[in-house]
Amino acid sequence: MMLLEHDAKMLLAQDGVPVPDGFLASTAAPAAVGAEPCMVKAQVPIGGRGKAGGIRRAETIAEQHQALAQLLGTTIKGHTVRACRVEEIVQGTECYLSFSLDPVRGRLHVLVSAQGGVDIEAHAGKSALLAADAAFTLGAAIDATRQLAGGIASPIRETMIEAAEQLVAEFFKFEATLLEVNPLFVRRDGSWVAGDMKFTVDDNALVRQPRLSDLINRRADAYPESALKLANGFDFVVIDPAGEIGLVTTGAGLSMQILDEIAARGHKPFNFCDIRTGQLRGDPTRLVRALQWIAAGPSVRSVLINFFAGITNLGEIAHLLVAAWKAVPELSAPVTVRLIGNGYHEAIAVFEAAGNPLRIEVDLDRAIAAALAPLGGAYR
Amino acid sequence: MMAAVTDLMQRVEPFVEADVAAIIQGITGRTGRQHSQLMRAYGTRIVGGVSPYSDVDEIDGVAIFRSCAEAVSATGATASVVMVPPLAVLAAIREAISAGIRLIVTIAEGMPVADAVVALEEVHAARVRWIGPSTPGIAIPGVLKLGFLPDVSLAPGTLGVMAKSGTLSYEVCHRLVGRGFGQSLWVGVGGDAVKGTRFADILPFMLADPKTRGIVVIGEIGGSEEEELAATMIALRCTKPVFALIAGRTAREGIMMGHAGALILGNVGTVDSKKEALVGAGAQVFTRIQELVDAVTTGLEPKAGENTCC
Repeated sequence: MMLLEHDAKMLLAQDGVPVPDGFLASTAAPAAVGAEPCMVKAQVPIGGRGKAGGIRRAETIAEQHQALAQLLGTTIKGHTVRACRVEEIVQGTECYLSFSLDPVRGRLHVLVSAQGGVDIEAHAGKSALLAADAAFTLGAAIDATRQLAGGIASPIRETMIEAAEQLVAEFFKFEATLLEVNPLFVRRDGSWVAGDMKFTVDDNALVRQPRLSDLINRRADAYPESALKLANGFDFVVIDPAGEIGLVTTGAGLSMQILDEIAARGHKPFNFCDIRTGQLRGDPTRLVRALQWIAAGPSVRSVLINFFAGITNLGEIAHLLVAAWKAVPELSAPVTVRLIGNGYHEAIAVFEAAGNPLRIEVDLDRAIAAALAPLGGAYR
Repeated sequence: MMAAVTDLMQRVEPFVEADVAAIIQGITGRTGRQHSQLMRAYGTRIVGGVSPYSDVDEIDGVAIFRSCAEAVSATGATASVVMVPPLAVLAAIREAISAGIRLIVTIAEGMPVADAVVALEEVHAARVRWIGPSTPGIAIPGVLKLGFLPDVSLAPGTLGVMAKSGTLSYEVCHRLVGRGFGQSLWVGVGGDAVKGTRFADILPFMLADPKTRGIVVIGEIGGSEEEELAATMIALRCTKPVFALIAGRTAREGIMMGHAGALILGNVGTVDSKKEALVGAGAQVFTRIQELVDAVTTGLEPKAGENTCC
């Protein structure tokens, strides 16, 4: 997951990484005042914010409030801007530094340049951008960075080496897969400041990274998907708040594919879900949660449940589904269930005994058609 | 082109030997015990289990050892299915390597990337094949399975299947089996970013295997594995038909979709990038399951004929 710039800066600043003074604003008239002039930066977990209009310069406090009013609540590449970082403007030579994991070879990729800026990647291959890769260890990374910095003129070279050593230590400490600082400002006095920062960490490592898991839990509204997974053990992502069809599905690949199949038929899915039926172990809690979140979708008019259970007995799953459905009376949309695996006839008996509250299908395409039928309109 | 494939067939050993003897690390756990029974019922030679803290000598007729080294020296096993929690996978892989295991299948979901990087380096150094992390397993249908691929989707046949996703491959193969198309070899590579075996690593084996008449690729957004496969198809002059399904067109940039590797950043990892690369290498690429199934059933004969080679 990519941390928001503000959170990444606050986290690394605690360890002594120099960042510009700033604060997080979630309203257009924040209590904190900030500097004049300042930058107002939309906090969304994607690259290319500046080009997408998510970064503004404000000369006065009035302009800062105006920029906040314009940015807050807008959507950048599908992400709603819930907050902006308001930050002092820093002067200095704009440099560039990034460390990233090459997942194919399991090595660390290092990029260094004495010329930073928004178009740095477009200049890759040109003389200004120095690249190397190293074994995925702190020692090898520091050696590689020192060697690269040899291509930069003094005195910026010395500052870049200092910055790189500090940043790459943070990269390994937090089990990151990407740490990019661009621009990295080098001042005349030899000090440096991380102007902007992209920091991507490994979700699988959160269980042994207490500072990161604390951050996710504390800022759960900014990281709804990761916080939800930490708390509940499964994935649930709202894809389109205005989506019409709620999904309770298992397996990441098939769940993604079902979204695509529904979209290809001209309808809007509400959510992605990977419930992991193998981990239910007789407890309907995950199913209840998923159905509750779907019931809260204002436009949801139909629900599709699809479980291709390799191992888990469908009779057991049927009991859990009936229990979960009864526990969420606020769900008024019709529910279509497609089940496949061992114990199908047992499952049918369970549904019959419960008065058949859910529509059952054995074929996925037929189940999708049945679930889309109540929506009418675009179905082809 | 014929020469390239013939050469490959002489060079390449089978991906997994049909009579491979396997142990299970973590056999006394709930999952390990259940899947050990299911793998044996399918015909896999499970010759032992490893459980360092257990005091039993046998579970369901399988001998239990305190370490991989003990298990290997007593049974001659060359493969291991690792069924331990995600944070214990790296240690289990190391133990298997030092015991002399040659094929390691790790099924746990959630192995940290930093651990996977170390494991990758160590399996490469030891020339050990590692399938995983987070794989549902591999199978030669009708012969063996290492992992938990569901029996309802497995049938002997002529398709080589490589998949990032378990469930999506179950669905696709279940439909194909219903139409008379089984598999010659099925390899789940898992949905993580750093992994032991990638699509491109499997291709030479499927090209060399005379039983494999067509290749089904179940891909998804994130990473560059489909693009690497396309490059390898071109390099190896792949003449077998390749049918690919890429999931995740509806995903949003910057949001992880269940699998740790299923993440779009910028223009990297999109469905369009993968489709373009694979089509350029001669594959047929689909976005709906049924379209792929129909293309396979109209493009291939269900059973291997006399002239199976190339």
